[in-house]
Amino acid sequence: MPIDFSLTDEQKELQKLARRFAKEQIAPIAAEYDAKEEVPWPVVEKLHEVGLLNAIIPEAYGGLGLGMLEEVIIGEELAWGCMGIYTIPMASDLGITPVLLAGSHEQKQRFFKKLTEKPALAAFALSEPGNGSDAAALRTRAVRDGDYYVLNGTKTWISNGGEAEWVVVFATVNPELRHKGVVALVVEKGTPGFKAHKLHGKMGQRASGTYELVFEDCRVPVENRLGQEGEGFRIAMNTLDKTRIPVAAGSLGVARRALEEATRYAKERQAFGRPIADFQAIQFKLAEMLMGLETARAYTYYAAWLTDTGQPQAHAAAIAKAYASEIAFEAANQAIQIHGGYGYMREYPVEKLLRDVKLNQIYEGTNEIQRLIIARHILNQ
Amino acid sequence: MILVVLEHDGQRLRKSALEAIGRARQLEALGPLAGVVIGENTQAVAQEASQYLPTVYVAEVGGYTAEKWAEAAYAAVQKSGAQVVIASGGRQGRTWTARLAYRMKAGLLEDTLETRAEGNHIVATRYSFLNRVTERQRAALPVVLTAKPNTTPPAEPQGSGGVEVLNVALPTGVEVLERLSEQKKGVSLTEATIVVTGGRGLGSPEAFAKVEELASVLGAAVGATRAVVDAGWRPYSEQVGQTGKTVQPNAYIALAVSGAVQHQAGMNKSKYIVAVNKDAEAPIFKIADYGIVGDVHQVLPALIEAAKKLKD
Amino acid sequence: MKFLAVIRQVPDGESRLKIEGGRVDLSGATLILDQMDEWAVEEVIRLQEKHGGESVVVALGPERAEEALRTALAMGIDRAVHLVAEGYLDPITQAEALAEVIRAEAPTLVFTGGQQADWDSQALGPALAEALGWPVVSWTTQIELESETQAKALHDLDEGAERVRVALPAVFTSQQGLNEPRYPTLPGIMKAKRKELKKLPLSAASKAEVLEQTIQERTRLNKLIDGKDPVSAAHELVRLLHEEAKVI
Repeated sequence: MPIDFSLTDEQKELQKLARRFAKEQIAPIAAEYDAKEEVPWPVVEKLHEVGLLNAIIPEAYGGLGLGMLEEVIIGEELAWGCMGIYTIPMASDLGITPVLLAGSHEQKQRFFKKLTEKPALAAFALSEPGNGSDAAALRTRAVRDGDYYVLNGTKTWISNGGEAEWVVVFATVNPELRHKGVVALVVEKGTPGFKAHKLHGKMGQRASGTYELVFEDCRVPVENRLGQEGEGFRIAMNTLDKTRIPVAAGSLGVARRALEEATRYAKERQAFGRPIADFQAIQFKLAEMLMGLETARAYTYYAAWLTDTGQPQAHAAAIAKAYASEIAFEAANQAIQIHGGYGYMREYPVEKLLRDVKLNQIYEGTNEIQRLIIARHILNQ
Repeated sequence: MILVVLEHDGQRLRKSALEAIGRARQLEALGPLAGVVIGENTQAVAQEASQYLPTVYVAEVGGYTAEKWAEAAYAAVQKSGAQVVIASGGRQGRTWTARLAYRMKAGLLEDTLETRAEGNHIVATRYSFLNRVTERQRAALPVVLTAKPNTTPPAEPQGSGGVEVLNVALPTGVEVLERLSEQKKGVSLTEATIVVTGGRGLGSPEAFAKVEELASVLGAAVGATRAVVDAGWRPYSEQVGQTGKTVQPNAYIALAVSGAVQHQAGMNKSKYIVAVNKDAEAPIFKIADYGIVGDVHQVLPALIEAAKKLKD
Repeated sequence: MKFLAVIRQVPDGESRLKIEGGRVDLSGATLILDQMDEWAVEEVIRLQEKHGGESVVVALGPERAEEALRTALAMGIDRAVHLVAEGYLDPITQAEALAEVIRAEAPTLVFTGGQQADWDSQALGPALAEALGWPVVSWTTQIELESETQAKALHDLDEGAERVRVALPAVFTSQQGLNEPRYPTLPGIMKAKRKELKKLPLSAASKAEVLEQTIQERTRLNKLIDGKDPVSAAHELVRLLHEEAKVI
């Protein structure tokens, strides 16, 4: 009997902790920070306090060395409270992952220390104004000058970009080399020539800070380079293959929240003298929501298991990310429909679910890109 | 023999004591009744008690500690040979009765709504699971039981009895340094027939003056929600709910209270529940008999006026 | 010094209760460390942080109560003892069994919850104190150790509160306001796995039995008045309370 879906006692405990944290610390303030479009730093501090922040850093470097399945379990819970707020620790893990994959022992010690000794975040900067999904076409230039690289260019849509202690920036030493010219550099907060501008007016996930990063003759020491020149593109792609799974986990949280809110409302709301939950039209919607949630969770756990057991998982991460975000979007949509007019109002939490989860279909590779990855997996076999 | 431990204020028996006597009379099949008055200034109270009970013991032990009360009650048990002890189920009552029950190796029936004798057993009805479940418990004699306030009609005087003084060796261990009695105007929360409770929705501690005013017009006790006491607007002793007090008045008037499960645990058995809240979807309305959907700052002054007019 | 907390596992107040065959069925409920016991655990950890020594948590309950013990360990308690017993046991019988374990542990003090969120009992703390021959302070909102044999505490009475000096060892029960419990941390959860959890089987006969449990929800009248005109709404409400309900 090689398949086993049970969680260990420890995993159950951390699920309980994350669930309680989301319920008590995140859900009550989510609407407020959504309205203010502000990062809830006190929540970041509390996440650090209980050990839920940057927990994928290995124990040897002062972290907890959580595996992907643990990350997924926690991600679902935190995103249940607020997808936008979950994006903060998630995007920090996205910044940590390239260092984990390609950093030297010395680099890991140096960079991870900054993230474990106090509440602090990392970030990952790949997208540029002129290239979103076409990652190899980046224009940010890194020119070698003695023991430094001189960075020039602009990155955009960078989660945590302004708060982060350090950002992994992908730049090219020669645009003509396309992906073979990419280098990954860790740029620390406060480095001269590095500025972060917060982007305002987001539709959803407004509690996470999204930034445009501008580099003007920004000098980055060579010892901050991850791997070799030309390896940057592979590092970025390998990173995203992993971190798409937590995006799927976040979508699970949103889908579950949508189902819970819709179920509660359907049992309470009366129409024609009965709770609307008595009507098949509503029951079918709830059933669809659970079908989506359960299948997406099972598959996301599978993708996490492939990752934790060191098997090829790029296609599985892509399937999980695209599928979970789509069922979650649909769940949020139907939750609004079940709420009727109330669902369209800020007073109820369901419209926010839809605004938030829309981004899950876009960031860390649009769902169209995920389909390309999946198709390539089919055709290359 | 059934022993009733009588609560008093140093001058008179409390209503809860008369209720406890009422409870004891319902169990008369199990034997004759006796009472015990414990505390300070017990003499006059013992005289009053003797109008209700054939035998009254009195133990002048000074101010309350659980140890003293348990010791004095145990002395009365030994003297009377009582197999059943009945006390009122406040915080103090439910503390020292547990000590006493352990000493008597008795079954303990806590916070009972109703009790009846069944052979040499007592069957009691009580609430459990934060007041959400009603259960029947049975224990063989000897039994110590506490009666929930406002569940038994107060007893009427009946005959007259003798008073007997008990000498009790005072236990040490707890020394009272200071009593922080909130000068409670009016009625005690657990004994009140009407409770007026204010919630966080009042907006400020000052707004509570209006809650007090309505309470005083109605002869009601003032209650508060957890959010209100956590914010420091009102003392913890006024809190109604899971971690505060459980009340069961004839009318529970909840002003700007949303009605979380934890709050409901303290008031959901009230005879009538009345709510004023601007949010028509607030959970409190689901358990309310009467309600006004409206702004408490406008409704409350109007309620005070309307209640005054009624009382005039 | 040694500080000891006695805890129970209970259903979350918000989880739905079902009745099966005249008994509460907890199979679908979320079970948690009793909130009032959580305050007791937090206080014991704080006492240990301040005064050093050891912290121990003890539970009497079914197998599943181990989860609540693990939570206490993850919050920071050093080790756990589990008296394993299924089904209802009255507080006097519980106290008798627990006293045996606690006497052997010989702690400086014991803390437990003011009221149990399942059986709605407030008796365990004081019954335990009686079994041990120690003083009890119930509904404690503040505690301060003056020495190994003496503490000062503030606790609630029926009305108001009082400050007391207590000879140790003693039993304290918790009240809201005592502290703000910490979360079990992720590192704490991982460490908890390696902490000692001793199991002791218990068979004892309860002095009281539960005959039947039911959920009786009163049907409420649900008469709601629109408060747009506050004066007439208030008059109507007062009239209903006076004439219909006859409560004022």
